[in-house]
Order: sequence, then C-alpha cells, then structure tokens
Amino acid sequence: MPVWHEASKQWVKVGRLAIVGVTHEQHAERCRLFAQWHELDWPILHDPINQIEALAVPILVAIDEHGIVRSTRPRIESFERDFLDRTFSNDAPPIDDAAGVPDVEQLTANAQSADTAEAWRELGDVFVLWGGEQRIDAAIDAYRKSVEHAPQDGNALFRLGVCFRQRYESAHRQPGDFQAAVDHWQRALETDPNQYIWRRRIQQYGPRLSKPYPFYDWIRQAKSDILARGETPVVLPVSLTGAEIARPQRDFSASTDKEKSPDADGKTHRDLKNLIEIDVSIVPRRAQPGQPVRAHIAFHPNAAQDAHWNNESDPLLVWIEPPAGWQVSHRLLRAVQPAEPESTETRRLDFEIRAPDDLAADANDEDAAQLKAYALYYVCEGREGACLYLRQDIQIGLDRLRSVFRECSNFKAGFRKERKKGNTNLR
Amino acid sequence: MPRRPNSLIPGIATLLLTFGQPAFAEPYAPRVGQRHADFTLPAISDGRPVSLSDYRGKKLLLVHFASW
Repeated sequence: MPVWHEASKQWVKVGRLAIVGVTHEQHAERCRLFAQWHELDWPILHDPINQIEALAVPILVAIDEHGIVRSTRPRIESFERDFLDRTFSNDAPPIDDAAGVPDVEQLTANAQSADTAEAWRELGDVFVLWGGEQRIDAAIDAYRKSVEHAPQDGNALFRLGVCFRQRYESAHRQPGDFQAAVDHWQRALETDPNQYIWRRRIQQYGPRLSKPYPFYDWIRQAKSDILARGETPVVLPVSLTGAEIARPQRDFSASTDKEKSPDADGKTHRDLKNLIEIDVSIVPRRAQPGQPVRAHIAFHPNAAQDAHWNNESDPLLVWIEPPAGWQVSHRLLRAVQPAEPESTETRRLDFEIRAPDDLAADANDEDAAQLKAYALYYVCEGREGACLYLRQDIQIGLDRLRSVFRECSNFKAGFRKERKKGNTNLR
Repeated sequence: MPRRPNSLIPGIATLLLTFGQPAFAEPYAPRVGQRHADFTLPAISDGRPVSLSDYRGKKLLLVHFASW
C-alpha cells in the first residue's frame, strides 16, 4: 500500500483522487501506527469483524464519481490514463444501498421478533462496530444466538471470536476469553478453509510458521523511524505476543536449557488469594502428532485486591515440566519488568509444545499428558499491604487441551490453613 | 508490510440491503461496471462513521489492507 500512497500523493493533493482505506485487523491502534509510520493521511476505516466479507487482502478498487466500479486491479503505471483522465458516464443501474450507522433499537426489535441467525448476527455487528467496549457482552450474546440458529455460519463464528478477543483485552475480561476467541476462529476456518483473513487472525497467535511470515516485525522499525522524525508513536495498548513476531528460527527446537527448577521442592508458598490471575490459552487447541501448539500465559494483577508487581527484585519466572514424550521450546521463561518499583501491567509469556509423533488421536488419559508448570513472582497486596514472594501452579491437559486449572482449587480452605500456620512470607 | 496473497478468489457479489447496513451474501467481489454497495464503518482515527457514499462525486481508490 505505501507504494500506491507515494504514487498517488500528487493526485490527492490536487483533488483528482480520494483514497479510503479499510483495515481488516483486530487492533485499530496497530493500523494507526502503521499509518503514522507511512504518513498515510487519508481516512482509514476499521472492519475488525470482516463485515465486508473480503476473502483476502490487499484489494484495490477504483470507483468513479458515480459510485461505479471501474477497476478491481488498477495498475499504477496506467492508472492516470485508464482512470483519472477518463470521463465516465453514469451508466450502471441504481441499487438501493443507503448505508449509515444502523438503528440499534430497530435491529434489536427485529432480532427478537424474527429470531433468525441473520437478524442476531446483524445485531451483533452493530454492537461490536458501534457500541464500544461496554456493548461487547451484548455482541457476544447476539452472536451466540446467531450461532445457535446456524452453527455452520463461519461469519458469525469468526465475529464471536473477535468479540471474545476484545473482551479479553478489556477491563471486563472473563477467564477463558482468549481461548474462546481462538476456538471460534478455528471453528469458522473449518467452515471455509479458504478464508485468508480468518486464517491470518488465528496464525498470529499460533505456532510460528515454517514459512517465514513477519506479522508485526515492522513495529520496532516503525517506532524508531517515527521517533527519529521527532514524533511520538501511537501507543499500542495491547502488547505483541511471541507468535506475532517473526524470529530467525522458524522450526520448532526443543529446549536445551541447562537451568534447574527454581523451586524444585515446592517450598515456596502458594498464591492462595489469587493476587495474580493466570490465564492460559493454547493455539491451536488440539495437539496433532508431531506438531507444535503455542501456549500463551497471561498474568493479571488482581485489581479487586489492588495487587501490583514488586519490581525491585527478580522478574516473574515460569518453569515448565513437559510430560514424557512431549517437548517444549523453553523450560524457564522470564518476563520483562519495567524500571519503576511497582506496576500493574499484564505480563505475557509464550512457549511452544510439540506433541509426540505417536500421539494417539483419541487419547483420553489426561494424566498421561499433563504439562505442569509453575510461576514465581513478587507481588504486593494493596498499596500499603504486604509484599510476598509466591508461587502459582499451572496444569495444562495436553491430550484434550481443555482443562486449565490451578492446584489450589480449594484455596479458601487452604488459605485459612496457611494463615493459621503463619505462612504469609512477608518481605 | 502487507503482502499480496497468491490469488484473490473471485466470487459473485450479491449485495443485499438490510436495515441500512449491507449484508454481503457472497464474499466481497466488486464487479467492474456495477455500482459499489455503500457501507459505513468507523474511522480508526476517532471512531466517527464514514460511508463510501460520502465520496460520491469524486474519483476514489478504495484500499482493503492489513498491516500484517
């Protein structure tokens, strides 16, 4: 697109041409940074749910002053002659296509009375495009009803996944939202494996591809270039995860870490109050024999308890114990922590897991494939409260890749027991 | 940088109007010589609604892209 932008600057400047972009991405801010980097000064519209139902991008369409399509594959070298210099007649039949921001009340009433998959999907579209963060739950409800009526509607499944992803990144995050997003995207793709946009949305979070594909490698360069121009880069509220950045090593390589388990005997006190909420997602959800899946672990300081990271000591660690026959890309992960002494940001770590070549497709013995891991971190409870060094155990069922749970499920009873023993591990 | 896909799979564009918002019954595939269906989406800059029809009277290059 930057090539077209450079070539068309003069045409736009003198009023011979207008340009409008439509970006088919989850995050508008990443596109805003991209636009800032390339100095794209024309309007860019956001279609995170692919309402237009494009199969792929990029697509360029030359539209004349009457709204009639004149080319779907314009060429830069002949664009002026074939399009800008030509006079077109208004020779296409009219269509009844007045758009605008839809009436939510009208769509709601229609969905409730018609109760069809299409009506609920349209209502979901309005909520997610125009309702903002506070209507994400309403969008999820509408799309769920749509999917109940039409379980094979890939568009509704994909859009439901978009909503889960949005809610995961909002203050109203629910456990399992990230996994629900990926699962619905995967179900959508199964209805139409040719849908390039759906496929790309999943691949951004899955195992790194064998064929290099730098989804967001440009971001570091963009920020550097923008700063060099004396500008402030657009802030990205959602940080990139490991799978979104290409790395030199594309093929899975098993960990050769020489480090030892930092809490092998398990003596560190558990985070029984859930000061840090852990959310684990697996992409794709089901492991195939010999193939990697990517695990995303997010660590959210518990806002209800005013929990925050204590950055004046060692960083957050995660130690991973794969079951026999399974391989992991890392045994020990370390999170980057900011310079300030305390912070409340979500921290994310990623790693890949490869299933054994002889993994049985119908494996159902969860005990035979439990990936055990644990996190160690310094966390403080409340601004004036105690700071603790705590451990949280994580188990991931790799045969079904469904159950992610913590050992401290009965944490209330356990916490009372620990309190009686005086195990508060104060700093 | 956006990459060009190996191919763009052509389809039949059947554009239906439903409550002021276009529903694309088939994958998006604008056809030369036909009017492009209007649509309205939020701008990434400030969320304001922008419609394709806002550009009637101008020659327009519509660019669908992604930054991955």
